[in-house]
Amino acid sequence: MKRPEKPEYGFATVFETLSETIFPAPAALPAPWTSRRRFPDPVARFREALEAAHGEVRVVETLDEALSEVAELLEEIGAEVVVADSEAPLERFSLGAGRQVARVSTHNADPEAWRDLCARADAGVTSAEALLAETGSLVVSSGPGRSRLVSLLPPVHIAVVPAERIETDLFTWLAARSGRWPANTVLVSGPSKTGDIEQTLSVGVHGPKRLVAILYD
Amino acid sequence: MNGDFNSGFREAARIAIEDVGLIRSVETATGRFRLGREAALAELPEADAMRDHFKQIRAATLSNLKNHLQTFEANARTAGVQVHFALDAEAACAIILDLARKRGATLAAKSKSMTTEEIHLNPALEAGGIRPVETDLGEWIVQLAGEAPAHIIAPAINKTKEQVADLFREESGDEILAEIPALTAQARRRLRETFLQAGIGISGGNMAVAETGSVVLVTNEGNGRMVTSLPPVHVAVLGIEKIVPTWAEAGVWLSLLARSATGQPLSIYTSIITGPKQDADIDGPEEVHVVFLDNGRSKLLGTKYEEVLQCIRCGACLNVCPVYRSAGGHAYRGETGPPSPYSGPIGAVVTPLLFGLADHKQLPQASSLCGACLDVCPVRIDLPRMLVDLRRDSVEAGLDGAGTAVVTRLAARAFGSERMLGLAARLARFGRRFVGGDLPRPAKRSFREIRREKRS
Amino acid sequence: MPPHALLVTCLVDQVLPEIGVATARLLERTGHTAEFPEAQTCCGQPFFNSGYHAEAVRLAKRTIETFEPYETVVLPSGSCAAMIRVEYPHLFHDDPAWRPRAKALAAKTFELSEFLIRFDLLPIPRTGSADNPPPFAFAQGRIRPFAHSPATYHDSCHMCRLLGLRDEPRSILEKTGVAINEMAEPDRCCGFGGTFSLKMPEVSAAMTREKLRQASETGAAILVTADPGCLMQMRRFADEAGVRVEHLAVVLEERTR
Repeated sequence: MKRPEKPEYGFATVFETLSETIFPAPAALPAPWTSRRRFPDPVARFREALEAAHGEVRVVETLDEALSEVAELLEEIGAEVVVADSEAPLERFSLGAGRQVARVSTHNADPEAWRDLCARADAGVTSAEALLAETGSLVVSSGPGRSRLVSLLPPVHIAVVPAERIETDLFTWLAARSGRWPANTVLVSGPSKTGDIEQTLSVGVHGPKRLVAILYD
Repeated sequence: MNGDFNSGFREAARIAIEDVGLIRSVETATGRFRLGREAALAELPEADAMRDHFKQIRAATLSNLKNHLQTFEANARTAGVQVHFALDAEAACAIILDLARKRGATLAAKSKSMTTEEIHLNPALEAGGIRPVETDLGEWIVQLAGEAPAHIIAPAINKTKEQVADLFREESGDEILAEIPALTAQARRRLRETFLQAGIGISGGNMAVAETGSVVLVTNEGNGRMVTSLPPVHVAVLGIEKIVPTWAEAGVWLSLLARSATGQPLSIYTSIITGPKQDADIDGPEEVHVVFLDNGRSKLLGTKYEEVLQCIRCGACLNVCPVYRSAGGHAYRGETGPPSPYSGPIGAVVTPLLFGLADHKQLPQASSLCGACLDVCPVRIDLPRMLVDLRRDSVEAGLDGAGTAVVTRLAARAFGSERMLGLAARLARFGRRFVGGDLPRPAKRSFREIRREKRS
Repeated sequence: MPPHALLVTCLVDQVLPEIGVATARLLERTGHTAEFPEAQTCCGQPFFNSGYHAEAVRLAKRTIETFEPYETVVLPSGSCAAMIRVEYPHLFHDDPAWRPRAKALAAKTFELSEFLIRFDLLPIPRTGSADNPPPFAFAQGRIRPFAHSPATYHDSCHMCRLLGLRDEPRSILEKTGVAINEMAEPDRCCGFGGTFSLKMPEVSAAMTREKLRQASETGAAILVTADPGCLMQMRRFADEAGVRVEHLAVVLEERTR
């Protein structure tokens, strides 16, 4: 096999090798696996799974209660700088005097400044497009009014999510979702952790040390 | 037979066995992962059926690999991803170096990737004037130590917190307590700077989804998200076999991956990357590249070894292997040179297949064929069968020591007749001390002799 | 068809004959005396596992021919039984002449404890006969029988993973009044692996020592295995661990004497 001179070998060359191989008739893929889970109380399962991963779950009845929870939390951690996604239901919450809540939509023009803000922030507040009950996961995506860094850089990540967005598991979520994929979707299943030193659990390595999911009806 | 192997695996294993601290660490870590896996699969409905289903997915995918790669390329391009194919390690490094240079990057933030170990990317970057910094905590630790990773999932499995503190002190000049919270905080602080300043982010990928041209990357620490979101360029490096046709299959893969590796239902962060930042996004990389690596994989397609490409690099086989647990990961190496990035049962098979049997002839011998690996593999890869096949290839290639081959064939001859068997046993009883003390000592009277006497 | 044949295995024949004697006696006591076809030598497993494929095939053919005339074949070895049951059909997969013969043998080959349960031969009738000298006359000059209970049982790799026989040996031991204290990992490989113990002796020894360490932690009087290869390997380091290793057939024979 002659090797081309340019560093970029490109599609064709590798496939020369592949087509030299004898391919028997391709085997058929099996029919898609369907979810085998039936949770009588998906929210309870979600709570159980996320708490097992050292996340925190609060379930309240109204959006107002949820936003109060957020305010209390921010008070509790003594947050001075807070970053938040610009999407309903998050547009409404605010903190007392002296606290700054910076929102994505007001910083679109200056991504550099936004990044610095996220790096300095004490907490980040987002919603989630779905909740996965089986694995205790929040589905957080990039998009207009949303920043990847809000749920990544600050030491505390607070997610405010309507409980109706709960899905059974990966399979039901994937089957239900439609439309173009965003540039980035993350399934967040707990605060950041590692066991890399002496197999001992340590929470809060690169990502948030604390994850609080607030579900409201 | 006894004197066949005096370097490579046997020698490295011999040294590792003496390192009581290392072996204790390996036992603790693998024990935790084993228990985690058992509990996680016990809780997963129809786990066995799902594994069978997964095997069908992987086998079918490989039987049609070219088409899936083509589909991925088309869909990825639509999403704004640039797809590259690298025939070998040199090609891959050249592509990545080129991408970094085009952007004037001098610092590369790296998220854990066995594939980039395989292609020796870090030395290539350094030679090209680019500083690579590993950001997975375990990988950063072994990078600072100048060592190879010791386990597919837990690279620093062999390091104590005192050793880590020493490495961190040396790296930063700071005074650091040899306690895990302090060490973790130090890593968070130091590596945060890397994430924010790097001109290029380089990651591996757990799978590529052809349906949408997406790459899936899982981490527990969040460094995968950092590396793929902060720098202006993101490059993901994946073996050509890490592909899945649609999201239906990806769901099965994700359901089994973390459960088999550590017992978690999912890793903390499952990142799904489909292209660079879109117009309305405030953050995200401006360029996303996927480099598919061949490096010997395609020549396994259509052979009796194709099955080894089904591996999803979960590490479950390492965690149960009694050989791995006794000798550690660094023992898996060639006759000369550094350890293979792939250790344990999968390493013993894939290393000689990708990098040459002659140079790695001990690896297929580094197994008692107990079958524990096959028991736990989520894709039911028949590693014991492939180990025997590799041994057969070794014999046919004349890689068994000449003395061993002669003795083995003579023994087979002797076993060919009951009379010769008796004769050989008598000879062995006499000449045992000359051949090697490890051979079994024949009984004074064989069973057949006792039986004959009883009859008469 | 002559009913039962005893395949003692090459290891038992030449190195551990007392296991063969015990097995023959057990079969006699259940009324299923087995013949010993003298042409038997080796099932070919060590050669197969080492990659000497042609040699393994030759020995497999010899084994098939030797045992073809019998109704059932009984072995005091899980790994050799697995070789015949699981591997022989693969060995002759592409050989239209030998494949059916291999499959036929595989279908009638049984490891000892499996045979006893499958053919419903428990409990084994006790013999009161003074005619049967005990096997220890042939072993290392042991005079008194050893304590059997509590025992700990080692699941040899091929017997538990390829043949799925975990309950059978345990239930037979329990039925003869032996209590079992389980090791932390009863199915962790003992380190024998045939030629593995010769090629990688240090790792092999480390594995054996770990197995024996787990055995001694159970406080059991004996470590029982149904595999002569495992037995031989574990005995090499048994003294230093203070553990006594015995074969299932020998224990059963003594308990039903």
